[in-house]
Amino acid sequence: MGKNLPGYFGEFGGRYSPEILTEALEELESTYQKLKKSKKFKKELEYYLKNYVGRPSPLTYAERLTKLWGGARIWLKREDLNHTGAHKINNAIGQALIARFMGKKRIIAETGAGQHGLATATVGAMFGMETIIYMGAVDVERQNLNAKKIEMLGAKILPVTAGEATLKEATSEAMRDWALNVSTTHYIVGSAIGPHPFPTIVRDFQSFIGTEARAEFKKRNHKLPNAIVACVGGGSNSIGMFHAFLKDKQVAIYGAEAGGLGSKPGEHSATLTYGKTGFLHGTKTLIIQDEFGQIVPAHSVSAGLDYPGVGPEHAHLSQTGRVDYRMVTDEQALDSFLEVTRVEGIIPALETAHAFHVARDVAKDLGKKKDLIICLSGRGDKDVTEVLRLLGERSK
Amino acid sequence: MSKIKSLFDSRSFKSAFIPYFTLGDPNYNDSIEFGKTILDNGADILELGIPFSDPVADGPVIQRAVARSLKNPFSFEEIFRVTKAIHDHKPETPLVYLTYFNPIYHCGISKFLDRAKESGIVGLVIPDLPFDTEESEILFQELKVRDMDLIHLVTPASEKKRIQALSKTSSGFIYYVTSFGVTGERREFSVDLKERIKFLKDTIQLPICAGFGISTPEQSNQISQYADGIIIGSAIQRIIEENGSDRTKAVLALADYISKIRASIS
Ligand SMILES: Cc1ncc(COP(=O)(O)O)c(C=O)c1O
Repeated sequence: MGKNLPGYFGEFGGRYSPEILTEALEELESTYQKLKKSKKFKKELEYYLKNYVGRPSPLTYAERLTKLWGGARIWLKREDLNHTGAHKINNAIGQALIARFMGKKRIIAETGAGQHGLATATVGAMFGMETIIYMGAVDVERQNLNAKKIEMLGAKILPVTAGEATLKEATSEAMRDWALNVSTTHYIVGSAIGPHPFPTIVRDFQSFIGTEARAEFKKRNHKLPNAIVACVGGGSNSIGMFHAFLKDKQVAIYGAEAGGLGSKPGEHSATLTYGKTGFLHGTKTLIIQDEFGQIVPAHSVSAGLDYPGVGPEHAHLSQTGRVDYRMVTDEQALDSFLEVTRVEGIIPALETAHAFHVARDVAKDLGKKKDLIICLSGRGDKDVTEVLRLLGERSK
Repeated sequence: MSKIKSLFDSRSFKSAFIPYFTLGDPNYNDSIEFGKTILDNGADILELGIPFSDPVADGPVIQRAVARSLKNPFSFEEIFRVTKAIHDHKPETPLVYLTYFNPIYHCGISKFLDRAKESGIVGLVIPDLPFDTEESEILFQELKVRDMDLIHLVTPASEKKRIQALSKTSSGFIYYVTSFGVTGERREFSVDLKERIKFLKDTIQLPICAGFGISTPEQSNQISQYADGIIIGSAIQRIIEENGSDRTKAVLALADYISKIRASIS
């Protein structure tokens, strides 16, 4: 029965996508299993991660934040220093290599904040592949810098106007494209969501984040951190950060999800807090839905967290209690965005700002002489215009 | 014996005509009229769509229909009420639901099936519930005890091994997806359509009905030469989209189209 099939995390995960995609998903799975064991593939991936992305990313000791918050020592895993400015490139390169191995010449992707679209457009340019990016029309507006960069790189953006015109609709549209072009095209899913094997593949390609952070922290401090924190949209940077620490029971793990404007349906993207078990975009997971199983539109100030579902592995980690998922409102995220920018001289992505807010509480609770690592999933250049607009509204 | 099986066993047609439309577009009461019209003009089986907010297997025409439908307050009570009214108009024609799995799961499988059956539904098509999931197996068993069918989709990409495995938990008929992609009208079909359907007929002991992309009487006529049934959704939905603001006009246009298709495959 289902639960014994690969691709489940407890009761979540699996493959609930249209039949037309099944063969492609099986091909992807068997190719990935083969490549995972191949030394040549590993070397190639490591080559690009080192020489193109700039890995390993450093672990920065945030001295001023530590002082300001007055609790645990704060460390930042600097995914913002990656080429293209976020963790998304780790996965985009990995999947582009798989696509190339499978002989697919066309790649497509969905994007919310535009970071995954940008990463995919970048690898598309580098590997010379035709690249199509599905992006909600609302997100094309609020993440305009990334949208412009994507086009400059030679990829085509297809704005999606259905529904709320954000990440959920972009994901549906990318799945439809894939169903039509499945023999020539690879769909580079951008988060730890979607039908099996995507949640596993994305997690594996992002797990460099946690593995590096764990190793470097240990080397410098001869111990493990007391806690780690990451923001959760679909859940790729967070699962990448968490995975290396899951077995370290002494390390407390926190996820920050978007509490948006409030607790009413439509006001937030807090899937792990308010979601119920259901089926969306090919996976069984927690989903924000109404009493009839219709998906409720999500909201977040950050386009990358604005999704009513979450990767199935997070649904499982939430259910088992291994990870403590907390909500952060739009206002709190905006405050953290400004605080980190001014105190550390690092402009974080609005998505990441959610993680900082949770981290501040956790740091205080932990107290001095303890250590906490935050996954700084991306930089906030893309958010500057939107933040200025929000500040303008706030001052009214 | 299931109602669909007896229909195909005692068939009086060359190929069954299986039209589809979304309930609630533009409103639930008009759906009743559309359903009656379609039944009166020659549907052998009627597929009723339960709208779902994220129909990933559907093209633009059906997506827009679903969006229009969901502008009305959605409830299962409304869905069952409308279904029953359509069923009562012509109880001998089998009605099936086409929907995504999430609403059914959320309603509760047995509760949903009991109410669906009471309303006249005899089978389900669920494009995002592959046969090799635990949920599909549960659903198949639950349907079986109620003498209802689980109609699976087979596509041009489905491999032989998978088709053989799928036949164990399929009933009613097989929904053969004629082309890659999502629902929507198309001018051409894959070249090996005929061979694929022949192969399926030899492999699975169920009627093979073809859908996705069919819209004209010429296409229906051609495909009816080798398929046990013709499924048409987007073309019907387009008629509702173009005429839906005027119920009388929509009913006339539907009657005309349905009877033409029926005639083309008799
Ligand atoms: C910088 C950044 N962080 C986080 C996210 C959220 O995605 P995920 O939860 O998959 O890491 C995004 C998504 O676009 C992002 O751009």
